[in-house]
This record gives sequence, C-alpha cells and structure tokens, in this order.
Amino acid sequence: MLTTTPYLTTRRPSPTTAEFTLTTCPPLTPPLRAALFGVLCLRFIAVLSVIIGIYSAFFSPPSNPPPPVFPSGRYYDFDLNNFLLHILHLLYISAPGQWVATLATSVLPPYAVLGLSAVTAYIALFARIHTTESLLVLRGLGIQMSSSVGGGNFFRLGGGTYMKRTRFIPTEKIQDILINEAFKGFEVRYYLVIVVEGEEDVVVCFPRLLPRRKIAEKVWREARGCLYEKDGPVMGAGAGSQAAWRGGNEKGG
Amino acid sequence: MHPFSVLTLGIFVAGYITARWDLVTRLYELAIFAWEYGVVTRAAKGFCVLSLVFLVVFLPVQHLATLESNLHPRSPGSEDDGLMRVFWPTDLPRSDCKGVVVGWRNSALDVLVVAILEEVEPRRVESALKLGNLLRNAPHPVSRIYEQCGKSSISVLGVSNTPDTVEVDSSWIRATITPKQRTPSVTCARASSIQIILFERPLPGRMQYMSLNPIALALGDKHDGFRQDFADSTEEDDEKKERLKKENKQKLVEKLKQHSVIKRTPSPKERALPTIINQINWAWELEKLLQQNVSRIGTRPKRALSVSERVVESATTARDMILVWLWDMITIYVLPVIKKLFVLGLMAHRVVAEVLLRILEWRLRPRYAALKDISATAQQVEIRLQQFCYWPMQYVTLRMRKNDWASVTTSHPDYIRFYNSLWLVANDVIIGMAFGSYIIDNAGWVADEISRLLTTYTVEALQSSISWLMGWPAGLKLNTELAAFLGDLFLWVIEYWASCIETIRPILPRIVWIIGFSSFAGASMPLALFSDLLSILTIHIYSFYLASARIFHWQLNILTSLFHLFRGKKHNVLRNRIDSCDYGLDQLLVGTILFTVLFFLLPTVVVFYLNFAIARMTIILFKACFDTALSCLNHFPLFALMLRVKDPKRLPGGIRFELRDTQDFLSAPCNDNNPLRQHPSTSVISLQPIPLDFKSMFYQYFQMGNRITKHYLSPRVALCLLTGKFVPPLNRKNLYSLQYSMLPAKRAGVMEMWDAVNSLPASKRKVMPVQVPILANGRARFPSNYGGGRARSYG
Repeated sequence: MLTTTPYLTTRRPSPTTAEFTLTTCPPLTPPLRAALFGVLCLRFIAVLSVIIGIYSAFFSPPSNPPPPVFPSGRYYDFDLNNFLLHILHLLYISAPGQWVATLATSVLPPYAVLGLSAVTAYIALFARIHTTESLLVLRGLGIQMSSSVGGGNFFRLGGGTYMKRTRFIPTEKIQDILINEAFKGFEVRYYLVIVVEGEEDVVVCFPRLLPRRKIAEKVWREARGCLYEKDGPVMGAGAGSQAAWRGGNEKGG
Repeated sequence: MHPFSVLTLGIFVAGYITARWDLVTRLYELAIFAWEYGVVTRAAKGFCVLSLVFLVVFLPVQHLATLESNLHPRSPGSEDDGLMRVFWPTDLPRSDCKGVVVGWRNSALDVLVVAILEEVEPRRVESALKLGNLLRNAPHPVSRIYEQCGKSSISVLGVSNTPDTVEVDSSWIRATITPKQRTPSVTCARASSIQIILFERPLPGRMQYMSLNPIALALGDKHDGFRQDFADSTEEDDEKKERLKKENKQKLVEKLKQHSVIKRTPSPKERALPTIINQINWAWELEKLLQQNVSRIGTRPKRALSVSERVVESATTARDMILVWLWDMITIYVLPVIKKLFVLGLMAHRVVAEVLLRILEWRLRPRYAALKDISATAQQVEIRLQQFCYWPMQYVTLRMRKNDWASVTTSHPDYIRFYNSLWLVANDVIIGMAFGSYIIDNAGWVADEISRLLTTYTVEALQSSISWLMGWPAGLKLNTELAAFLGDLFLWVIEYWASCIETIRPILPRIVWIIGFSSFAGASMPLALFSDLLSILTIHIYSFYLASARIFHWQLNILTSLFHLFRGKKHNVLRNRIDSCDYGLDQLLVGTILFTVLFFLLPTVVVFYLNFAIARMTIILFKACFDTALSCLNHFPLFALMLRVKDPKRLPGGIRFELRDTQDFLSAPCNDNNPLRQHPSTSVISLQPIPLDFKSMFYQYFQMGNRITKHYLSPRVALCLLTGKFVPPLNRKNLYSLQYSMLPAKRAGVMEMWDAVNSLPASKRKVMPVQVPILANGRARFPSNYGGGRARSYG
C-alpha cells in the first residue's frame, strides 16, 4: 500500500531542460499521508523502546517515582539532563515501558538486548520505504543522475528526498546514450546506459529501480531529443513565444 | 568638426598657398597637360567598366551567397538553436536601481554575469571596459584574469531593471530583479528559450572554490612509475593477471567506442564548461574590483562625508601612519637578519638530511634491499626526513600564492597537504611526548613485562607445544622417532635462543629507555622501533618456519613424483605435462616402498609445519597492526576531515545541478503591464558544489586494505600454506605507497632548495592606509578600503 511499481514523472520547463524522476512513492493522497505518518510514529516508538530497553537492562533504574524536574523548586535552574532523565523515567514506569523493561531484564540476556536494540535502531532510523531516482538532462551542460540515499523520505512523509547522491556527466564526455539488455535470473531487463568517454564502465541510469522497457525507451527518446536535437520535440511553443516576444519588443520601441 | 578647428585649418591652407604660390601654378600646368593628352577620358572609361562589372557580377553573387548562407547556417548549436544560457550569481546585491549587467560572453548566447553596475550608461561602461578603466588599481596583473578565464575581454551583457522603451542591442539581455526576488527574470531578443543557472559565488578569501573533478588529496602522479621499475622482474602472478584483465577491458572499451554511430563534435557551448567553472571561481574578486572602479565612469548617488566621519577618517589615517612607520623599522632592520639565520639553519638541516637519506637509500646492488626496505624504523626516519625536505618547497609555493590573485585555485590542494602534514607531525609529537614520558618513567616495569612476554610466548609456549607434539598430540599416532628427532632439534635451538635472550635481558631496560626517549620525535618512532624489536626477537620463529616449510615442501614434492611413478606415469618437464612411462620392476618396487614410508611420515612433518606456520602468521598479524597504526599516525587526513566539517566548500568533489520550480518565478508580478510581453520558456537551475565524500578522502586506505587482502587472503596464499611454499611477505614498497603518497617521487636537491628559498619575493605590505583619493566628478569619496564598501556609499 505504501509503495507502487516505479512510475515516471517528467518536469520540463523548457524544451532544452528536462528532469525524469522515477519513484516508488505513489502520489500523495490524504490516506497515504496518514499511513506514512503512522510509519513515522512506529519508528519513533521503536527508537523509544530501544532507549527504554537499554536504560532498564544496563542502568538498573529504581522503580519509585522519578526525581522532580526542579529539585530546588525554582523554575530558573533548569537542567536539561535532569529534565531528559525525568522524562525517561516517566516513560519507564508507564505500563508499556514496564512491559519493555521486563522483556529486556528478565526475558532476554543482556547481549541479546544489545544486539536486538542495535538492529531495531538501525531499521527504525535508516530503513527507507521509497526509492527515488532521477535523471536531469540539460542541453549544453550534460546529464546528471541522482538517487535518494539513507533515510529518504524520513521526515517529509514522502514529499521529497532527504539526501541525494548525484553524479554529473558533462556533454563533452558523453559518447552515447543507449538501451542495453541483460539477463537477470530468468528475465531480460532493458536498461538505459550512458557511455562515458575515457571510462572503463558504462554508467547505468536508474541503477536501483531498473525500469521496464517502455519507460526506458521513453526516457531515452526524450533525453536524446533534449540533449542533441536542434528542434526539440516541444520546440513549437518556444518558437511561438519568441515571435511574440519580438513583436512586443517592436511595439515597445 | 568643431567650427573653430575648421577656421584654423582654413587659415593655415590660405597662408600656405600664399607662401608657396609657385606650387599652385605648377599643379595648374600639370592639369592642362593631362587634359591635352587624354588622361582624363581614359580614366573615366576605366571607371565605367569597373562599375559595370561590379553591378553585373559581384552584387548578384553576393546576394546569392547571403540567401544560401541563410538557408544553411554553418555553425549548428551555437547561433541558431536559440538557447540562451545565463549564469547568474545569487549573492549579487539586489536593488531596484537601473543597472548594466557586466560579465563574460563565452559565445553569442552563453553568458556569465559577474556584476551589475548601477546608475551608469551602458555606452560608457562599454568604452571603459575597452580602455580597461574598470580594472584599474588591481592588486595583481590584470592579464592573469583573462588568461585564467579563457576570454580576452569582459563585456557588457545587457541591462537590468530598464524599461522596455529603451532600445538595446539584440544580443543583450534584459534582467528584472528586485530586492525581494531571489531569481532574476531574464529575457533576450534573440533567445527562444533560456536556461538561468544560479550559483553562489565561492569566496576566494576563504579558499572556497568549485571544480568539476574531486580535489586530489594525495600527490598521485608518479608513484606508479616509481613502483614499476622495481616490479618488472619480480612481477608476481596475480599482478600479471590483473594487468591482462585491464588490457582486455581496454580492448572492450575500444570496441564500445566503435558502437556509437555518429561522432558529434561538441559545440563551443558544451566545451565551455571548464572555463565557466573558472569564471565562477573568479566572479567574487572580479565583482569587487569592478564595483571599486565604477565611480570612475558614472554618477552614483552618494553624499559627502559628514564632519564626524571626516574626523574619524583623519584619526585613522594618523594612527595608520604611525603603525606603518613602526612596521617599516622592523621590516628593514630586524626581519632580514632573522630570516637569513633561519634560512641558514634550514640549509644546514637539509644537508644533514641529505646525508642520512643517502645512507638509508644506499643499496649494495640495484636489486638488493636498502635499509629502508628492511626496517620500519629506517623507513619512518626516511619519511620524516623527506617531509622536512619537502616542507620548505611547499611553503615557497604557498607563499607564491599570496602574490597572485586569490581566485587562482591550483595551490589549494597543496595548502591542505602542507597543513595536514604539519598538523600530523605536531599531533605525533604531542602523543609521542605523553607516550615517551610514560615509558621513561616506567622503563623498568616495561622491560620486565617485555621479557616476561618474550619468555612466556616465544620460548616457553613453543617448548611446551613442541613437547606436546612429540608425545602423540590429540590422539594422533605420529611417528615417534621422527617426532622426537624434529622436536629435539627445535628444542635445542630454542634453548640456545633462550640463553641469548638471557644475555640481552640486563640491557633491556636501557633499550626501552632509548625507545621512550626516541618518542619525543613522535609516537610513530617508538611504534616503528617496537615493530622492529618484534621482528628481531622472534627471528627464531621465522627460521623455524622456514626450515619446517622447506622440509614439508620437499616431502610433498617427492610424494607427488612417487605417486606418478606408482601410477606408471612421470612428469615431463620439457612439455610441462604428465606422460606415461615404462618403469622397470625394481624401480617400481623401490619407488612404491619409498612412497609408503614417506606417506606415513607425512603427518608428523605436517603438525610441526602447521605449528610454526601459525606462529609466523600471528607475528605477521601483529606487524600489520603496528603498520596500520603507523600509517594512521603518518597520513590520516585530519586536516581534510576538519575542513569537511568546518567549510565543505573548500573541499570540492564536483558539481551538481538542481532544477528549480519555475512556477513562482513566472507568476511573479511584472512591473510593467504590457499584455504582449511574454517570457521565453525559461528553466531555472541552481548549480551547487558537492563536498568531497568520505570514501575518496580515505581512498588511499581503501587501496592499501585492498592490496593487503589481495596479498594475504588470496587462494594463492592458501595454496602456498598448504604446499609448504614460502609465503612471501608483501613488498614494503607496495604496502607503503600510502606513506609516500604525500611526498614527491623525487625530492628537490639541496641547490634547488637554496634557489627556491632565496627566490621568495618580498612580501607586499599588508597595511596600505594612505591611498590617493579618487576624484570622481569633483567630489572626494571614501578611500576604497575604508570599511563601508558599497553599502556605506549609498545615500
């Protein structure tokens, strides 16, 4: 429900510039947003329970009520450590907290607690739901590939990417763009590659999603048009606006 | 022409004619002569024929040529595709004033904006740029700018915030920008679509810059060749295999090249990218210079100094004068003496270093190992000495940087390397002092500990394990006689070695004390010494390993050939294959008996061999740990890591583009409500530098790790261990290419260094408080380095 098969969106503000984005994140509808928010909450709860588990397993906290936030009763000597400890202790003595604590202290041995909490924390912090990869084609400059890395869509609920790894190839270095085929298991995959001059390996576009042939072909056609062809496919609009602008200029003069 | 000068000219001509009347009569006679002999008619005829030819032939040809060239334009992509590319700095000061956009024009529709000069006439800017007026008072030679930016002149690119009623050249851009608007809206009469590429100018003063390729932290140019000349004879199998693989891949790449059908010739716009990156790097300094000089050509709205400001100004001037006088005294009398002494000290140091380096590098024969290849200590000393030799040269290059524009980015990696190695050495010394004082204070205890460890692990443990092997270990029934023989042999050598250790035990505290003392030269020194000490004190294990491996290997070889004999075959050495062979009965009998005997003796030899091989591998592991610690102390990219955290723009790892949404920009209110005015299709792209990623910062370490794993964890090593062949230790040179990656392959000689140190130009004066005030339009203005800059001079 949270993901779809990768689909293509194209942004093309002018005939010479185009960005092809391939993402597994479906269009953001209110239910999807709610679901993503739920996932975020789950992650938060997982991290909290990891903290509580470690706290109860290794720090042997007392089970009486927490120390007061303001030990001296004055509001101005606020101590952040004290405050955080207070909150942690409150969480610990709450019912779910106690449940986690019994799990961590009496059910599991300490090394298992450590391993489990490390795995949980890693999944909660770094696992990502969606993969987004994009190809930006700029005439006269080159092609740039980017893909979201790390905790993509972590806080923005699928609205954008959190961190990007990019690679830019200048047009001068691009020898060719082509679609190649390869066997993967028992299927044939068609993938878009860029042949870069002076490099041993070809560069695969959308390496993680590896879209179906239709999408690859569409991107290939438009990218070539955008990069090389003198009259790009949407050139008509550009020429029209140019004429209009010239007219305006004469009238103005 | 001015009427007055016309009058002057008239008077002059009249006077001349009166003075030289005979010349006039001569001319008159000449004219009559020409008329009488028909010169005039002939000239007129010629003129008529020529104009006829011009009208009939040349004009139509020219007309046809224009038509044809309009039909088939020659330069594709550059002129006709109507794509305009504008590089625009986002951090230009924005205001509502009318202005002239100035920058680089890389090709007709490819421009890079450097500055917006406000409240000046475009024509005057153009002429000032031609005359070079706008680049006056440059701190460094102006030609350097043009050379670096790849263009011969800065040009006027267009106008900003100018109403459409003003007529401009068709290739000029009209930009509209307001203080609120981040992205400018740009139009150009000749462009059908526009790419606006926004960039933030890197600050050259902070050594930020952009580059297409990642910054190289290592001096990685020549070490391959450095290694090759030693490797060619001893090139190992896996290296050969690797080379073959590489060659195959190269062939594939060549084939791939033939796959592309059409070879496009890149247009000038596409080739311009490296130049543009350079221009971006220069943009900040150039804009400052242009803004400084803009008052020479225009009337900028400004005000005179108020009385209080005048008072402040004269006070600062007086203070600065005194400072300058003091500074002059110091620079003239004190500094040269100190400098001379320092240089002499440096040179003396360099000579000593040269002698030591010669000793360390001396080889008996070209193929033999030098001292630095054998001992970690010698190598550590060599690295330090090389660094000391390289620092003055690096410092000289860095000083040259000060005498050039700050935007020249070629020496920035040098800067990082220099300070990285300085910092590492400082760190090393600090850690070494702590370590050394600890060792010196506890020399006795450390020596006791070392000798205890030595006796427990290299003598007693070996003895016990050998005696264990001698008496049926783990239920294995070995050959008792052979086991006893081998065990006794090894035990005897170990005893002898133990007595040797006993003799050096009394001087061990002294050795430890020396090691502790050496650590004031850096913590890497005692580490290297300990590493060497380990190899010296475990030399008996090494020799045991060699001996047992040799015995095992021989036995295995004999067994193989006897097995072939047993099957009636033999190994044909000439063809390197197994041939069948007719053996006699006696041969077969003796061979089989020998095979059986040797086969039953094999387990005994194997256990001894395994014992020593494991011990040897453990020692190699320890040494690898020492070496890793050494390489971390010597070449950790500490400075680069710090820079990465502090200012990622100083470590460029390439560029990236980001397509901005153009919606907000198109819907931004236009200040004139001309209904016909439409923007050409515009895409707004922002250009950002990528900081260097951590992977390429530690590239050298990854490479070293790769090399070690390839050498020690390969199937070849397992095979060697199994068959008892000697496992060669990794060539120190291969392993330590990391250590040398920050040093040049060939160090500069003593004389070169002397020249370099003496060629240091005199440093420019840093304080230049008294500057001739520029008189523009009869009004005094601020000295240009007096605080305010642009913001102050606006009313």
